[in-house]
Amino acid sequence: MAGEAHPQTGHETHEHGHFGPEMWVIPERSGLVAEVTEKSQAGSGLLRVVFITGGVLTVLGIVGFVLKLATAGFSDHRAWGFYVAAFAFVFTLTASAPLAACAFRFTKSHWRRPLSRIAEIFSLVSLVNILLFIPALIALPDIGVMTDSGEAMVRRSIWFQELNNPAGWLMAAMVGLAFCSLAILWLSAMPDMAQSRGLVSGFKASFYQRLAGGWYGTKRQWQIQKAGLAILGAFYFMLVVFVQFLIVSDFAMAMIPGWKDSILPPFYTVISFQSGLALILVAAYALRRWGGYREYIGQAPFWSASKVLLGLTLLHTYHLFAFFITYWYGRLEVEQAILNYLMFDAYIGIFWAQLFFTFFIPFPILVSNHARRQGWGAPLAAVFILVGLMLWHVRIFAAAFAAAPADLHGLYFLPSEAFALPALLLPAPAATFPDLWDIFMLLGGVGIVLLMFRVGTMLLPPLSMWEVKEGSMYQRVDTLIRGRYLVLAKPE
Amino acid sequence: MPNAEFMHKWGMVVDLDKCTGCQACVIACQAENNIPINTKDYFLQKRAYEWIRIERYWEGEYPNTKARFMPILCQHCENAPCEPVCPVYATYHNEEGLNVQVYNRCVGTRYCINNCPYQVRMFNFWHPNWPARLENQLNPDVTVRTRGITEKCTFCVQRLRRGEIEVEARGGQRLTDERITGGNYDPACVQACPTNALMFGDLVDDNAAIKPYFDDVNANPGHGEHDRVTRGYRLLEEMNTRPSVIYLKKVDQYPLASGGGH
Amino acid sequence: MQEGKVLPAAQINRDLLRPILETPRWYWPVVSLLGMIVLAAAVVVGIMIDQGLGWATGLNYKVVWGFFITNFVFWIGISHAGVMLSAILRLAKAEWRRPATRAAEVLTIFSLMTAMIMPIIHTGRPWRILYWAFPYDFARGVWPNIRTPLVWDPSAILTYLTSSTLFVIIALVPDFAVLRDRTTGWPKIVYTMLAMGWEGNPRQWKLQIIAGVLLSALILPVFVSVHSIVSWDFGMAVAIKSWHSTVFAPYFVVGAVHSGVSAVVFAMILLRWAYGWQDYIRHEHIDALGRLLIVVATGWFYFLVMEIIFGIYGLEGDELAVRALQFLPGDHGVAYNVWMIIFVGITYFLPVILWLPRAWRRNLWIMSTACISVNIGMWLERYLLFVPGQANKQFQTFTWNDYLPQWPEALIVGATFAFVSMLMLLFSRAFPLVPLYDIKEGDILKTEMQIGRRTVPATFRED
Repeated sequence: MAGEAHPQTGHETHEHGHFGPEMWVIPERSGLVAEVTEKSQAGSGLLRVVFITGGVLTVLGIVGFVLKLATAGFSDHRAWGFYVAAFAFVFTLTASAPLAACAFRFTKSHWRRPLSRIAEIFSLVSLVNILLFIPALIALPDIGVMTDSGEAMVRRSIWFQELNNPAGWLMAAMVGLAFCSLAILWLSAMPDMAQSRGLVSGFKASFYQRLAGGWYGTKRQWQIQKAGLAILGAFYFMLVVFVQFLIVSDFAMAMIPGWKDSILPPFYTVISFQSGLALILVAAYALRRWGGYREYIGQAPFWSASKVLLGLTLLHTYHLFAFFITYWYGRLEVEQAILNYLMFDAYIGIFWAQLFFTFFIPFPILVSNHARRQGWGAPLAAVFILVGLMLWHVRIFAAAFAAAPADLHGLYFLPSEAFALPALLLPAPAATFPDLWDIFMLLGGVGIVLLMFRVGTMLLPPLSMWEVKEGSMYQRVDTLIRGRYLVLAKPE
Repeated sequence: MPNAEFMHKWGMVVDLDKCTGCQACVIACQAENNIPINTKDYFLQKRAYEWIRIERYWEGEYPNTKARFMPILCQHCENAPCEPVCPVYATYHNEEGLNVQVYNRCVGTRYCINNCPYQVRMFNFWHPNWPARLENQLNPDVTVRTRGITEKCTFCVQRLRRGEIEVEARGGQRLTDERITGGNYDPACVQACPTNALMFGDLVDDNAAIKPYFDDVNANPGHGEHDRVTRGYRLLEEMNTRPSVIYLKKVDQYPLASGGGH
Repeated sequence: MQEGKVLPAAQINRDLLRPILETPRWYWPVVSLLGMIVLAAAVVVGIMIDQGLGWATGLNYKVVWGFFITNFVFWIGISHAGVMLSAILRLAKAEWRRPATRAAEVLTIFSLMTAMIMPIIHTGRPWRILYWAFPYDFARGVWPNIRTPLVWDPSAILTYLTSSTLFVIIALVPDFAVLRDRTTGWPKIVYTMLAMGWEGNPRQWKLQIIAGVLLSALILPVFVSVHSIVSWDFGMAVAIKSWHSTVFAPYFVVGAVHSGVSAVVFAMILLRWAYGWQDYIRHEHIDALGRLLIVVATGWFYFLVMEIIFGIYGLEGDELAVRALQFLPGDHGVAYNVWMIIFVGITYFLPVILWLPRAWRRNLWIMSTACISVNIGMWLERYLLFVPGQANKQFQTFTWNDYLPQWPEALIVGATFAFVSMLMLLFSRAFPLVPLYDIKEGDILKTEMQIGRRTVPATFRED
């Protein structure tokens, strides 16, 4: 809004100077729908860059995957640690991104409005997640079924030896998740598609007509839409937490013999929220800075979201510490071996790098009011956090897959056999370094997210127009005593 | 005071094959260490305590059963879980490898009791008292502990100290196996054991009878259990407590037909 | 969301200061009754210190932490309401927090004080407790052992107590000044001293607000650490199988918020009823707290499930034995499995069902039932978490044992509830339990907005 008179307040606001109440105002523009629809039809330089980068990286990833398959095959799961890390990273990022929209809609935070659609667009990646999940499931070694003699190859798992191979259930959970998140996207975008269906042509017109043809914005439709979003949001929230619990315990915890860590699923969930919010902030910043959405995405989302991101960053570190101190103090042989393995011996470099990227660097940025007000503070911290969390996934998932060879999962006779671990853990897996195909696959994970974001913005404008319009109705700047403040309406 | 010239590292070996469950060690310990008499009331309150107890397990189904005995005493762990949790340093590890309990400092938080995997730490729920005549038999070398503190096996540290004073301080000779046994400086339970199921010694002394067992178990920890040449093992080895007591497995000449455990 | 009308400042003062300026008729009888219960418990504690824990408790050589430690953790949990409601909701700018803040903060202080009594009287020799908690070596050359959670505990709790007391005092200063202006005689002198020259000028308000916000932010880490450290009393203990779980810290913190906020809701309903504060503690506030509680309860339930699943996950025999004692019917004396079902039912399912419909959230009787049930359940939770693990320690089945609490323990535990209630009532006699200035500030920020044909309540944004 630099240098431009604000339509409601008449005040002139500046990007870097004035932090009055106007900073919070959600822009009201009469031609919002037409402008945004046109903008999204036209695309932009940023989105072209995203498309090309995403495309190239995705191709690299596919190449890496094919070559990995050709060289390693699926016989030894240890070869697939980095692939699973890449999948888990993509999954973690994108499954929780739509949650940000749901959660802040639930808390009725006004600042979320410009961010909602950006968050929900990442629902589309859930389709890719299903595809990416298949090789991970194939690579996952069988749990093994207990025989009477107890001699079968068995690893501990949350399926308690009831299932030899939980792939079906895991896949069902994944599909359910995708279905639910797409339903949220559809429901949330319906009013916008209905509004712009007259403004677009070609494929999009029929696409919008098909998906939002029946929407006329009656009171009843709005009620159903809002109630549906609330219920789906709550359901999706629980489903995400549950699937994360399944994935992190089956693909990480159960893969390291003797690792029993009840905080890992909550920890993974916190990490997921952190990464989802970080992803949204980076995307929103890019769209605002280079994508031409400056007028529609104000400064307020960054200021407010950065506080949430700060909270999640602190929670991340808190969970890490709670895990660490319990194992450290417990001093059981198996716990020491696992601490050594994940934090000190093989993966010490990646551990410290991850800690710096997820805590020591973003924390000072996020506590600084100055950095957060500038708008770039939170996205900058978010970039570091995203890099750090990618390292986290490598540290946990790649390490877990490398922890023990396929034929050494016979761990039923715990704890006496778990005690066997140090001998088994310490000499065998030094840090597994990624080969070129592993790196390609990690990059491909980043690429697929970028590519799907571009595909999403082709279908839908990355701005929740109805929410922004609603937000601009619920606000005004008014005088209280001597100062001017933002007034927010709070309809039930 | 431990003599700086002669360092010790005390240890014990319990041979389960020799243990008959006669409870002589329990009584000897009771008498030596001024442990109050466990009355019927105390048993009913589940507050009766012994510093060394014989755990009795039945193996097999009646009538085809066997009794198994297991003397359990403080394991004097090198990596004792009870030590770091005491807020007042009432329990700590001394230079001779003993897990020491300082009754004066103890305030009775009972955290150490909860953190001991072997359950050998006992809380004094009542003030100890003896029938009038029995007070005369109290061992003057051992404190009578007051109510409200935690106590446990000391490896009869008073005897070890006496040995150190009598042998090392006066004679200038090291306290070795023979001198310990000859001078009755063994812990009371070891001295009383009729089958010599309990063996006590100094791990610093290369000629100590218990040394080979420790060497064997230390050389093949945990996973290497199957490579051991002796029958030695430590209780709850996976807890990483590194006890100073080693148990020798029972060798059953006539095993039960049906097998089964406790 | 605002429903109540904006009241004139004079009436707010009159209503909220009524318990201070004129004593209600029921006041002294109730306080005396509570005082007598506390006195009886104090006598029992005296006898217990004289006779020893053997006389007073059912603890035995196996289960050495029983009712007292359960009660300690319970009250520490209750104390988490204060910061949750005032600091977090203040930072989140939730308008509906306003009438609840003071009661929650005061409850924090009193429950912390009560909680600290428990581990002291539970020790074998409470008169030597100073050795433990204070970093002072008494010429013995021995300092407290900082490696133990039992030393982290008093440090965290005393820090929390200090900071939340400061928090309350800072919030009270403007109200002290109101009281100073409305009292005579010696109370006026006391209030004058407490008000520290408060005139309500802009500079003073600015400092008061900055101090409040700063303390809110600084108290948060303390808030999280206190219950984490309390949980580590148990989580660090390797010898007890169900205790050594990494999830304990967040699990306990969320559980503390669950029980604490429920307790505050119940306390507010009592205050509303006792002092006729219908205009201040309104249905909308209770409603909003109820919605918050649904989220907190569900989070807590998730952690409970994690704790149980990963307890069983290990398939370690000695841990499974503890879990069997918790969940399966057995031939043991105490039916832990029945208590377990009751506990999960009244801590999660019953209250959440009662909180879900909007109309029920606004029914004070239903709300009270739900909140009391949560607190009974959370007390049981701690008991069922601590005792079965101690009863079945490790594989050594020879020593497995059980615990039956005795009447002195039950009396002392019961009296802690009377103690906290009494302290709250005594506080309300001297200081306003609903913050005057906070209510007035909320009223000033209230406004309306015309959207289409509807008039919608609105607020000026703080800061």
